[in-house]
Amino acid sequence: MSYFGLDRFFTFLKTIKNYGGLKASLYKIYRMDSLRPGTLVGTDKFGNKYYENNAYFYGRNRWVEYAPQYGTDYDGSQVPAEWFGWLHYKTDYLPSQDAARPKYKWMMEHTQNLSGTPGQFMPYSTTQPKVQAWVPPKK
Amino acid sequence: MLRTTLGKVLTGGSLSPKRVTAVVRAASSQTGKKPEQIEVFIDDIPVKVDPGTTVLQAAAMIGIEIPRFCYHERLAVAGNCRMCLVEVEKSPKPVAACAMPVMKGWRIKTDSEMTKKAREGIMEFLLINHPLDCPICDQGGECDLQDQSMAFGSDRSRFVDIDHTGKRAVEDKDLGPLIKTVMTRCIHCTRCIRFASEVAGVDDLGTTGRGNDMQIGTYVEKMFLSELSGNVIDLCPVGALTSKPYSFTARPWEIRKIDSIDVLDAVGSNIVVSSRTGEVMRIMPRVNEEINEEWIADKSRFSYDGLKRQRLITPMLRDNTGELKPVDWEAALLTVAKQIRNAGSSIGAVAGGFADAEVLVAVKDLLNYLGSEALCTEHTFPLDGSGTDLRSSYLLNNGIAGAEEADFVLLVGTNPRFEAPLLNSRLRKAYVHNELDVALIGPKVDLRYQYQHLGDSPSILQQLANGQHEVNKKLKAAKKPLIIVGSEVLARPDGSAILAAAQKLSASTSPEEQNWRVLNVLHKVASQVAALDIGYTPGVDRIRELNPKVLLLLGADDGAIEKSDLPNDSFIIYLGHHGDHGASIADAILPGVAYTEKQATYVNTEGRAQQTLVAVSPPGRARDDWKIIRALSELLGAKLPYDNLNEIRDRLEEVAPHLTKYGEAETANYFKQAQELSKGIKTQLDNSPFDVKLKELSDYFMTDSISRASPTMAKCVQAVLKQKQSKF
Repeated sequence: MSYFGLDRFFTFLKTIKNYGGLKASLYKIYRMDSLRPGTLVGTDKFGNKYYENNAYFYGRNRWVEYAPQYGTDYDGSQVPAEWFGWLHYKTDYLPSQDAARPKYKWMMEHTQNLSGTPGQFMPYSTTQPKVQAWVPPKK
Repeated sequence: MLRTTLGKVLTGGSLSPKRVTAVVRAASSQTGKKPEQIEVFIDDIPVKVDPGTTVLQAAAMIGIEIPRFCYHERLAVAGNCRMCLVEVEKSPKPVAACAMPVMKGWRIKTDSEMTKKAREGIMEFLLINHPLDCPICDQGGECDLQDQSMAFGSDRSRFVDIDHTGKRAVEDKDLGPLIKTVMTRCIHCTRCIRFASEVAGVDDLGTTGRGNDMQIGTYVEKMFLSELSGNVIDLCPVGALTSKPYSFTARPWEIRKIDSIDVLDAVGSNIVVSSRTGEVMRIMPRVNEEINEEWIADKSRFSYDGLKRQRLITPMLRDNTGELKPVDWEAALLTVAKQIRNAGSSIGAVAGGFADAEVLVAVKDLLNYLGSEALCTEHTFPLDGSGTDLRSSYLLNNGIAGAEEADFVLLVGTNPRFEAPLLNSRLRKAYVHNELDVALIGPKVDLRYQYQHLGDSPSILQQLANGQHEVNKKLKAAKKPLIIVGSEVLARPDGSAILAAAQKLSASTSPEEQNWRVLNVLHKVASQVAALDIGYTPGVDRIRELNPKVLLLLGADDGAIEKSDLPNDSFIIYLGHHGDHGASIADAILPGVAYTEKQATYVNTEGRAQQTLVAVSPPGRARDDWKIIRALSELLGAKLPYDNLNEIRDRLEEVAPHLTKYGEAETANYFKQAQELSKGIKTQLDNSPFDVKLKELSDYFMTDSISRASPTMAKCVQAVLKQKQSKF
C-alpha cells in the first residue's frame, strides 16, 4: 500500500475522521492552518488539548490545540505553566506524571497575557497633575 | 508724608508755588525760560545735558551704564550703596554718580583706575556680609549682586575667615503670604522702603540701626498691606525679597518668557509670563510707560496659581439625573447644536469679564446669523441718551498715563486703588510730585493719599452738576481736571442720570489744553470695552425680557443672570475656563482657554487694543474659545467665514478697525454730542448712597473666577484679615 502512497490517503481520511468530519476539519484548517494527526496526551483545566505525534521531527512533534472558547483569539500565554514545560521540551513528563511538580494552595491561577484588554496593567503616575479639573457639585 | 522728594529737588523738577518757599533758592534759577544746556565729557565723549542732570543720567544718554544698586529711575535718589562711584577729573574723591548733578565742563571717567578700584572696594564691602548661598537663592541667575560682582568685583578674594566667625546674620521678617524675606542677603539699598513710601503709599518699611547693625524691616511684625507689594520683589537687587509662591520652583535660565497682557483688571498691564514644563511659573511686569510703567498689581502677579485649579478640561453635558458628566467634543457639540437648532432665534449670549474680542465677534456673528440680537455683557452700563453708541461715554478717555498730569481729580463712585491699582499709583504719583488735589464722591475708602471726601450721596453729584457745590470752583480753576466715574455706580438703575450729571459737570470745566478729556469712565473687567466696541448690549436686561430657550455664557461668572431668571426648559451653555458660578448652572460646558493659553485681543479701559500670547498649551481638551464657536457654527449650518486667527482678525478689523491696532489707544471725542443726547434722559438720581464693592484690601484679592480659584489669593485674604486683628 505504501508503495502507491495509499497509506497517506488513509491517514488523511483517518485524521479527518478523528477531527469529527469534513466540516470540523475545514474549520480546524481555518483556525489553525494545519490538520495534523496526533495522539491526544492530555487536556488542561482551560480545555486546551495537547497532542503528540513522533512521526514529525523534534520540535514539531508536540502541539496544543486551544480550547474552543478562545476561537481564533488564541495566544501562547493561554498555555498554563504546568503544560509549558512539556510543550517546550523542558521535560518529557506530562504534568500528571511529574511527581516533583510543586503544588501549593497559595499558587495563583494561571492567567493569560491581558495586554490590550481592559484587564491590562496600567502604570499610574505618582506626581500631582499639573492642572486640577473642576468637579461639578453634586446635586 | 513727603510730597516732594529729595531726588526731585536734586534733578531740578519743577516745584509748585505752594512748596517753593522752602527751597526757593534751588528752584528760582529754573523758573522762567528753559535754561541753557551744559556740556560735560564722559570718557572724553562730549554730551550736552540739562542742568540738574545727574552723572548717571548723563552717562546713560550716551549708552554708558554705570553700575548701581540703590538707584532706580522711578524712585527717589538715595545714594547709599556707593556702587556708582566714578572719578571726576580734578576731584580728589570719587563721586556717587546717581546723586551728583553734573557741572559745566566736568570730565567724568567711568572706566579709570580710580573708578575700578572704588567699585572693587564697594563690592568687597557688600560681599563681606552677604551670604554665599547663591546656589539655593531664588534670585540666583537674575541677581544684580551676582552679575555686578562678576563684572566689577575684584578677581581675587581677601576673605580669610575660614572659620566662619564673622558674617552678619539678620532675622527674617514676615511680610505676608506674597513676599519671602531672607534679610541676611539684604544690602540695604532701601529700594523697597522708597517704593513702599513713594509709590505704594504704605509707609511701613524702614530701617533700624546704623552701620553694620542696620536692618530693613517693618519695626513691628506686620504684613506689607499693599496691593502693589509684589513689585518690591522685582526691585530688590539681591535675593532678600523674593516671591513666596515662586520660591524654589524654577530657575531663570530654564524658563520660557512670553510677553502678554494681564486681564484681571481693565488696565491691561503688560506682563511677562514665565513658564516651564507647560506650567506658568510666575508673572512679572513688562515696561509700558503708557499703562503700567514697570509695576503690576498683586492680583495680576500672584493669581496665576488659580489657572491650575478648578479648570474645565473636558466638555460636559448634564445627564438625565441632573449631573454634569464629561463627554467628548463630538457629543457635546452635537447636543449643543441640536438645542440651538430647536431654539431657533430664541438664543442669547452673556459675555463675562474674560471674554476676548475674537470670541465676542464670533458669537455675535453666529447669533446674528441665527436671528438673535440678544448679546449682552455681564456688567451693566447706562443705555439712555447716547448710551454706548459714542465711545467717549465709556472710555477712560484721558488715558492712564494722562492721569499723572492732572491737577484736580474728582472720583465718582469708584475706588481706583482696588479697581485699577495702577491708575491709582498714577494718581498718587501726581499727588506726590504734581500737587494733584483729589475729591471723592462715594464711600470713604483708603486711597493711600489724602483726598477731600465730599460724601457718598448722589445729591452731591447733582449739586456739582448744577454748579452749586464749593468744589465747582476748584474744578473750574483747574487747568487739567479729570472726572473719573466708576463703572460700578453706572450699573445702578439711575446710572444714566449719574453719567449725564458727570457729562454736564465735565462740560462745565475749562481745561487748558484742547485735547484734555475731562470725562473718564473706569471699568473693572478686561472684556467690557471690547464688548461695547463690537456692539454688545451692556447688562442682562435684554436676556430677562427675551427669556431665551438657549443661553450662551461666555465665562459669565458674576451671577448677573441666574437659572431662575430663565424659563424652566431653557438650555444654558457655558464657554469658559473655570468651574465657577456659570459652570455650575450650565447644562453644557465647552472648555475654553485662559489668557495665558491663547493669542487674543483685549481692549483696556482707555480703549487700547492689546494682545495676549500663548505661554502654555491649554489643559486637557480645552480649545480656543472662538474656534469652538466656529466649529459649532458649522454644525448649525451657519458656517462662520473665518478659519484661522488672521481671518478672524480681519473680521475684527471690519467691525472696529482699532481692535487690531495693537498697542495704540484709539481715542474718542464726542463729549458735546453725548451731552446733548443726555439731556433727554428721564431717569432721576435716586437717594441711595454710592457704593463700591472693593472697599478694603481683603476685598481686592478675590474678584473673578481665576483669583477665586487661586490658593495664594485666598491666603492673602486670610493674612489681611488676620492683620486686621493685630493691634499694629
